[in-house]
Amino acid sequence: MKYFLRRIAFFLATLWAAVTLNFIIPRLEPGDPAEVMVRKLSGKDAQLDPAAVKAMRAMLGAPDGNLLRQYVRYLDALAHGDFGLSYTYYPYGVTEVIGHALPWTLALVGTTQVLSFIIGITLGAFAAWRRNSRFDSVVTLGSTFLGALPAFWIALLLLFAFGYTLGWFPTSGGYEDSIPGWNGAFIGDAVIHSILPAVALLVTTSVAWVLGMRNTMVLNLGADYIRLAKAKGLADRDVALRYAARNALLPSVTGFAIALGGLLGGSVLVESIFDYPGMGRLMAEAIGNKDYPLLQTLLLFIVVGVLLANLIADMLYGVLDPRVRRTPA
Amino acid sequence: MSILEVHNLSVRYEPRAHPPLTAVRDVSFDIAEGEFVGLIGESGSGKTTLGTAVLRLLERPGRISAGSIVFDGRDITHLAEDELRPIRWRDLATVFQSSMNALNPVTRIQAQFRDAIEAHSQLRSDAVTALVRQLFEMVLLDPAFLTAYPHELSGGMKQRVNVALALADRPRFVLLDEPTTGLDVVVQRSILDRIRSLQRERGFAVLFISHDIGTVLDISDRILVMYAGRIVESRPAAALLADPLHPYAKGLLGSYGDPRAETVHLTYIPGRPPDLTRDLVGCPFAPRCPERIARCLAEEPPLTPVGAGLVACHVARQQRAPAPGDDRTGVPERTRGFAGPTFVRSGEPAATERGPTILELVNVSRVFQRRRGLTVHRMTAVDDVSFTLARGRIAALVGQSGSGKTTIARLVTGVDRPSSGSIRFHTPDTTVEVEKLRPRSLRRYRRHVQMVFQDPYSSLNPTLTLGYALTRPLQNHLRLGRAAAHARAVDLLETVALTPGERFLNRYPHELSGGQRQRIVIARALAAEPDLIIADEPISSLDVSIRAEILELLHKLVTERDIGVLYITHDLLSARMIADEILVLNGGRLVERGSALDVIRHPADEYTQMLLDAIPNPFGRLSIDTI
Repeated sequence: MKYFLRRIAFFLATLWAAVTLNFIIPRLEPGDPAEVMVRKLSGKDAQLDPAAVKAMRAMLGAPDGNLLRQYVRYLDALAHGDFGLSYTYYPYGVTEVIGHALPWTLALVGTTQVLSFIIGITLGAFAAWRRNSRFDSVVTLGSTFLGALPAFWIALLLLFAFGYTLGWFPTSGGYEDSIPGWNGAFIGDAVIHSILPAVALLVTTSVAWVLGMRNTMVLNLGADYIRLAKAKGLADRDVALRYAARNALLPSVTGFAIALGGLLGGSVLVESIFDYPGMGRLMAEAIGNKDYPLLQTLLLFIVVGVLLANLIADMLYGVLDPRVRRTPA
Repeated sequence: MSILEVHNLSVRYEPRAHPPLTAVRDVSFDIAEGEFVGLIGESGSGKTTLGTAVLRLLERPGRISAGSIVFDGRDITHLAEDELRPIRWRDLATVFQSSMNALNPVTRIQAQFRDAIEAHSQLRSDAVTALVRQLFEMVLLDPAFLTAYPHELSGGMKQRVNVALALADRPRFVLLDEPTTGLDVVVQRSILDRIRSLQRERGFAVLFISHDIGTVLDISDRILVMYAGRIVESRPAAALLADPLHPYAKGLLGSYGDPRAETVHLTYIPGRPPDLTRDLVGCPFAPRCPERIARCLAEEPPLTPVGAGLVACHVARQQRAPAPGDDRTGVPERTRGFAGPTFVRSGEPAATERGPTILELVNVSRVFQRRRGLTVHRMTAVDDVSFTLARGRIAALVGQSGSGKTTIARLVTGVDRPSSGSIRFHTPDTTVEVEKLRPRSLRRYRRHVQMVFQDPYSSLNPTLTLGYALTRPLQNHLRLGRAAAHARAVDLLETVALTPGERFLNRYPHELSGGQRQRIVIARALAAEPDLIIADEPISSLDVSIRAEILELLHKLVTERDIGVLYITHDLLSARMIADEILVLNGGRLVERGSALDVIRHPADEYTQMLLDAIPNPFGRLSIDTI
């Protein structure tokens, strides 16, 4: 219990630090965002109109008052989920913009991450258990090969083969003719649109789990407790699952949780290639349009996601590995 | 009635990257129901491979290449895993060599008993728990630890768990492969005593593998001696002890002695075991054998009956059971002891006159503090220890693990600082207070104080040549130039009897045997011409057959060079062999000190007495004088 409380306290402290950094860093940057905006709108050489800058400030809700008051107001706004207005999607608020993109990413990237973890771990465990078999060679060599290919390249390949050439799947977007909502037509439409990006992500993310799992498990198979489990005359399945795989899983769990944390940022390249309306594409847009409020919020999301994921990983690790749980008195 | 019969068993390892080798060659033996058989031999002699093969647990690239294993009348040599599974643990159980790691770290101990029990019996749920409780009580463990995880147990407790686990399904045969190696002497003793009494009670047969000759002799009914993959002698323990036949067995027995004797002789076997990847001609032990005759080099002796046992030695057979027509020219006289080199320590004090004091500890304490939240845990590792060490003398610091021996070594070398008290290092010119040294002066001080570590396998950098290991301290501390350092390195190699020294300079640690490596480590410690050497268990990771050799070397070098030595050990026999003085530590306190002979023969402290009682004493059955 103490272990879990310590982890939570640690999480809150890091979260606070991240949020505070997110507040401080933009204020350390030289230049006034309002001036930048006005200059952009009015052209390079034009004289800066103080009134325009002031109006822009008011429009953007630029901060005034001293730093401490700004900080308090910032925390208050965060607590209320108020992240300001997006430049790109003006006059929509950042919250709203992200609210539209998040479900898409969660559905696509979340599902593929979980699936790829399960597939990767299972394949890796099997390959290790039957090491040096044909299955092992195919899986190991195959994952090494696929792992060397960049995700966007596989995505382009899939797009070309199944989208343009064969025409089996739509080539871009998240849905087409249906009206978004909880109805069969829309869900079917969305699923069809997500298949190609999902496959691209699956192929590239699962291979990392395969190799990691296989290697830790092969190491584990040499451990004394595995020899003892075999000497005990336990069924192969028990030795493989409850002794070998159970222990080999530990390092992968941490990796998985961290990967899940990155999930909130979506997958920039794959989403952009398929023009999928998720967080990754939003991020690409925010960068392209110098949309600071949006970008900052997206980064904050990622940070929080990674922190949360780490917390979950720590918790999970505590459950999976009794050795970290109790600190000797 | 034999429970286990092994006929002409050979095991080959055929790795892809290395030349194949025959680790076990043409081995035959049997074990009767309820018999306790010991198997001894140097590391690399094939003991563990043989044990693993008997359990049918060999993994590739090892395989049984010839012969058969018959268990209870059934040939199990080539049984498929599915057929083996039902007899595993119910009939053939084991306690492994490194059984510290033999428990699954992520499951509770009870569950690890449960799966073994449920796999082989009809017992379920509460009946299993009750049985596990019984097993725990049997090995004198508190059943409260049933629900513990392995990491929550001490090494000794884990080992008791492993013993209990091995007996869970009432097996008829248990393989014990170095079951107590790495444990404390006292703990080791209590576990082995428990195993032996359980074995008598329950009547299972045991094959007990160990390189600890004293223990094996003490505990076994019969002993198999293994050398280079073959069994060279098989005799009842008492007969082997009284009159070993094979010169190798003589050598192994000679490497063990009773530290309480007035004069202790320890023999050692020079040389190293043969390379098993090559074809051997003649007796594999012949190159190291002081009794060999011409025939030994030409013809491998078969394992033949002599008296109540078996021996594979031309000389022994011709001495004891000559066949008609044997050519007996050149056969040496019968001897009980190993006719090789001997390190003798007599009862009389070596030098009555004490040299000048070199090291002085005055009321030294070291308290470790650990902060966890607001509470601070204190642990006193060294508690008010005072002693002095003179030049040319060896003081042994003796105690169980956790007694503070190594902490004292760290304090004396300046790696760690005492919480209170003072450590003074005296040279003819000055006195240094070690705890007050700054990094720069500490560096100068270290020239005078060198270490010999426990494990020669990890204390030499595997990627650098021996020449480098030896010339570094010469260049660093003595500021010698390259050529001078080179010449000195050769001298040093010759000093530690690695001749010709030139030939070793460009070699790497992995090309040497353990004993040779430890010589290099000693040479390296001598390189800086130190005044004080701290030797932390320098022989405990070496084979028994060569321990005396290293002890003798260390003893000779320090007396010749007038160096003071702090010899740290848990092994009273080796302390007796080289130390002038013994300091006994218990829980960080110095409980007894005195001349080595006095402390061992007339211990005043209870704790010293307990350490002495833990030493196996097979010789108790013989009169001391015959040894």
